[in-house]
Amino acid sequence: MSKLSPSLDTDDAQNPKANAAALDFLLIELVPLAQRITEQVQAREKVLMEEYRRSKIFTNNTASSSSSDKTTSTSATDGADVASPPSAAKDTKAEVTSIGFPIVDEQAREGMFWRLDSLGYRVGQGLVERFSANKPRPQTPLDCIKFVCKDLWQLVFRKQIDNLKTNHRGIFVLTDQRFQALSRMSVDKRAGPKALEEALSRAQLSLYFPCGVIRGALAGLGITASVTAESTELPTATFQIKTKGANA
Amino acid sequence: MDSRSPSIACIGVIGRSNNPLHISLFPATGPGYEAERDRLEFSFMLNTCLDIFEARLPSKGLTHDFGLLHALDERIAMYGWMTNTGVKFVIVIDIEGTVAEGGRITAGMGLRNSDLTPAFQALQHAYIKLLRNPFYEPDDHDPKLTKGPTGSLQIASPNFIREVERIGKAWYPGIRSDEMLK
Repeated sequence: MSKLSPSLDTDDAQNPKANAAALDFLLIELVPLAQRITEQVQAREKVLMEEYRRSKIFTNNTASSSSSDKTTSTSATDGADVASPPSAAKDTKAEVTSIGFPIVDEQAREGMFWRLDSLGYRVGQGLVERFSANKPRPQTPLDCIKFVCKDLWQLVFRKQIDNLKTNHRGIFVLTDQRFQALSRMSVDKRAGPKALEEALSRAQLSLYFPCGVIRGALAGLGITASVTAESTELPTATFQIKTKGANA
Repeated sequence: MDSRSPSIACIGVIGRSNNPLHISLFPATGPGYEAERDRLEFSFMLNTCLDIFEARLPSKGLTHDFGLLHALDERIAMYGWMTNTGVKFVIVIDIEGTVAEGGRITAGMGLRNSDLTPAFQALQHAYIKLLRNPFYEPDDHDPKLTKGPTGSLQIASPNFIREVERIGKAWYPGIRSDEMLK
């Protein structure tokens, strides 16, 4: 079983037809994209909620017009309460950091991370189905992790993972000394330690998608895991994989 | 009596949690053989294969091909294939499924495991193509992972179903891999 089929050769991994830079750009552009989508979805939700509340107030008012004065006064104060939050929310929007990244509130950040991770998860599932087709079946969780380190990483990030550590009880730590998605990032040396902090927090954003890819690939191979990543120094990235039922 | 040749009677795609993802039936052809295949009966047949997959898994460490799973009677036999992601393909062969055309293997000559390999490879290819469709969510087709309302977990993609139909009809013993993939 050397090749799956001749027609698959046209999309062979060793014979790519897409410009490699396109993938780099995509990886970089994913983060702002996820942010925009999350913001739009939230804005739409807010509008819908607003409409729903207004319709409720409206029905309240019509119902209370026939009843006592007491209820009308409470519904009026309700209406005042509802009206204030959206204007406050509008003020906080459109603030931008020094490097042009918009500041987002906590809820939007969470939604954005979740979106990036689930995008990666789906990509990982697809990749593992396609590229494990000609590979022997992994027997142990370690085999699966090795598949991620050697084959998957090579495909997505054009290099292998540099270092793999495990406690043999379900926790794996993968280190990439020169992580593709972070390789184009740099720290403003003149700005001091604060710039480093800011750069690392920016780098952190690009790590959620690869986390999802790892999680999806492992899920495809039958391992439920949670993956976290951090970068303490550009362009190094460390991924911690905690498989289900692992004891530290 | 005309001489008969093997054909595919049924293709079953089974998910990781042993849930049916897709079942295609292919009636036998030729005079005297036109009886419809019974969906429930074939669903039971596919069920009987699941334990065999599980029992053979440790010994089939390296390959995806599980070969002949078991033969039900003189006509019906089941062959299996399992991907690394735990998706199983089962092909039910009817030894007397179709009229033997010139030069093809007839019922009496039997089948080799390798005769089914092109069909399985084509199926796997079709499944990979399905996973490339961004609107297909594998988790929504797994009873353990699905989040939405639990309706049918079967694959609804018309492209995939059409491809499975094509594979079932195109296969004959001794077909080459490149012929199988159009």
